Amino acid sequence: MAVAQTSTSSSAAHRSRKLIAFLRNNASLLLIYGLILVVGVYAATQAENFRTISNMANILRQTILLGMIAIGQSVVILTGGIDFSVAMIARVVALTVATIFAAQNSNPALIVPLILLGLVVGVALGSVNGLLITRTHANPFIITFGMANILRGVSLAIATTPIRGIPREYLRIYDTKIGIIPVNVIVMALIWIAAWIFLNRSRLGRAVYAVGGSERVARLSAIRVNRTLMAAYMFSAFCASVAGLFILSRSGVGDPITAEGMDFQSVVAVALGGISLYGGRGSLWGTLGGVLLLVMMSNVFNLLQVNIYVQQLFLGLIVLIAVAAYKSPRSAT
Amino acid sequence: MSTVLEKSKSISGRFSSFRPSPRLVRGVDLAGQWAAPIMCVVVLIIAAIFAPAFYLPTNLKTVLIQIAVLGVVAVGQTMVLLVRSIDLSVSAVLALGAVIVVQTQAGNSLWLAFIEAFAVAALVGLANGFLITKRQVPPFIATFGMLVFVQGARLAYTKGQASGTVPQILRTISFQEVGPVPAALIVWIIINIVFIVVLRYTRFGRWIYAVGGNPSAARYAGIRVDAVIMIVHMICSMLAMLGGLLLSGYIGYVDLRMGADYNTNSIAATVVGGTTFTGGRGNLFGTAAGVAILVLLLNLVVVLGLPIHWQLAMQGLVLVFATALQGFRLFLLNR
Repeated sequence: MAVAQTSTSSSAAHRSRKLIAFLRNNASLLLIYGLILVVGVYAATQAENFRTISNMANILRQTILLGMIAIGQSVVILTGGIDFSVAMIARVVALTVATIFAAQNSNPALIVPLILLGLVVGVALGSVNGLLITRTHANPFIITFGMANILRGVSLAIATTPIRGIPREYLRIYDTKIGIIPVNVIVMALIWIAAWIFLNRSRLGRAVYAVGGSERVARLSAIRVNRTLMAAYMFSAFCASVAGLFILSRSGVGDPITAEGMDFQSVVAVALGGISLYGGRGSLWGTLGGVLLLVMMSNVFNLLQVNIYVQQLFLGLIVLIAVAAYKSPRSAT
Repeated sequence: MSTVLEKSKSISGRFSSFRPSPRLVRGVDLAGQWAAPIMCVVVLIIAAIFAPAFYLPTNLKTVLIQIAVLGVVAVGQTMVLLVRSIDLSVSAVLALGAVIVVQTQAGNSLWLAFIEAFAVAALVGLANGFLITKRQVPPFIATFGMLVFVQGARLAYTKGQASGTVPQILRTISFQEVGPVPAALIVWIIINIVFIVVLRYTRFGRWIYAVGGNPSAARYAGIRVDAVIMIVHMICSMLAMLGGLLLSGYIGYVDLRMGADYNTNSIAATVVGGTTFTGGRGNLFGTAAGVAILVLLLNLVVVLGLPIHWQLAMQGLVLVFATALQGFRLFLLNR
C-alpha cells in the first residue's frame, strides 16, 4: 500500500517535472500565443469591428503573404544568417511577370510559364545571395542588404508606375477556393509543412540547425556547410517569389512598391516567434505566432485609428523589446 | 603527436579543397586596402573622358559638400565597425537632428536647440550600445529596430510634415565658401584630423582596435569592453547628427525622406575603404577614400544623365562588391 502510494506520488512529481520542463522549453512559444490571446481579447472588447468575420478573414489574408516570406526567413535565420533581400525579390518577381504580361497583351496562355519563370528568377536571385555568402565568407546581412539595394534600383528600372494588363484569369488565382479553403491558404500551408518536414525530418534540415549552432563545429563534423547555406537562401528566395506572385494576383497591377517593408517585418515576426537571431534555436511554430501577432497588432492599430507614424514607433519599440527580451545563449566574449 | 597533427591536417585538407597561393593572399589583401584610392583615380579619369561636365565648378562644389556630409557620418560608422558593431540608425538620427534644430529654433536660443539635438543623438547611441552590450542583441537588429523607432518618433512628432526654415548658421557652416572650398569640407577635415589622432595616438583609440580585434583578450587586458562599445556608439550617433545638420544646411530645407540612403552609403564607403566587419582592421584614411569614390560614382550617374534609380543600384553594387572583397580578404588572412 505504502509502496503504491509513493509510486503514485512520484509519478505525479514526475509529471509535474515534465510539465515544468515543457513550460521551460516552450516559454517563448507560450509567451507569443499568450500575447496573441491577450491582444485578441483586448481588441475584441475595444473595437467592435475586430469581431466581424470579414475582419478575421482579412487578418488571415495578411498573415498568409507575410507568413510565406517569414517561413523562408526562419530557415535562413536558423542557419545564423539573415535575408534582407526577400521583399525586393518578391517585388522584382512580381514586376517581371507583370511586365511580360503587359508586353504580351495579357495573354492568359502565358500564366503557367510566367509563374514558373517568376519562381526561377526568384530562386536564381537567392542563389546569387547564397553564392556570394558562401564563396566570399562575407557578412550575410550586408550582402543581402546590398542585394536589396541593387534590386530596388532594378525594380525602378523596370517600372516606376503601376503596370496594367494582367490577365483576369491570373487575378482570380488569389481568390480561388478549393472546397472552402482559399488556394493561398493551401499554398502557405504546403510551404509551412514542407519547411517543417525539411527542418525536422531531413538530414539537410538538421544541418541547418547545426550550422546555426556553430558553423565551425558543423564544418568539422563533416556537414556540408556551403550546400546547407545555399539551400537556405534559395528556399527563402523561393518563398519570397511565391509571395510576390500572390501579391501581384491580389493587387491586380504590377505595383512598384510591392512588398515594401516586408523584409524587416519578416525578421521581426521571426524574432518575435522566439527564433534566436544568432541561429540554431527556435521552431516554425514560433514564426507562425510571430506573423499572426504582428498582423493582428497592425490590424488593431488600424481599427483604433492610431496614426500610421505612431504605428511605426510602436513597431520599433516592439522589435527592441522582443530582441532585448531574448538574451543570447552565448556570452559576448 | 605527429599522427594527431597529420590527422587534423588531413581533415582540413579534405574539407577545404581550396588552397590559396601566398601571391593570391597578398594580392587580395592589397586590393582590399587600396581598392578605394585606385578606383578614385580611375573614376576621375573616366569622368574626364566621358563626362567633362563633371569638372564644372558648381558640380565640384556639390561633390565636395556631399563628400563632407557623408564623410562625417562615415567617420562614426568606421569607428563602430572597428569594434565589431554596425550602426543602421544613422539615417534616422541624421534626419532627426535637422528636424529638432529647425523646429525648436523658433522662440528658443539656437544653442539650446543644438545641445538638445546632440543630447538626443547621444541618448540614441547609448541605447544602441546598451542593447548590444548588455542584452547581446545582434548589432544590426538592435540598430535597425532603433532606426524604425526613431523614424516613427520623428514622424509622430512632426505629424508627417516637417516645416520651418534652416537657421542661417547652418547655411554658413555648410555652404559658405572658405577660399576655394565649401565650409562643410573644412568641418569634415577637422573631424577627420580629430578622430585620426584619437584612433592613432590616444589610449582610447588603442582600446577601440583592441576591442574589435579580440573582445575577450581585450577584457582580460583590463579594458572595459562594454563601455568602449557604448561610447563608440554615442560618438557615431553624434557624428550622424552633425552630418544631418550639414546636410540640412546644404539642401536648405527639411523633408520627410531626408538622408534615407545614408545607412547604405556610410557602410559602403567604410567597407570600400578597407574596414572589415569583423573589427579591428581599417582606418580613417581608407574611409575618406571610400567616401570619395562613392560620392564620385553617384555623382557620375547624375552627370552622365542616367536615370536616377541607377544610383540605388550603384550603392548596392558598391556595397556587395566591397563586402565580398573584404570577406574574402579576411577569409584568406585568417587561414
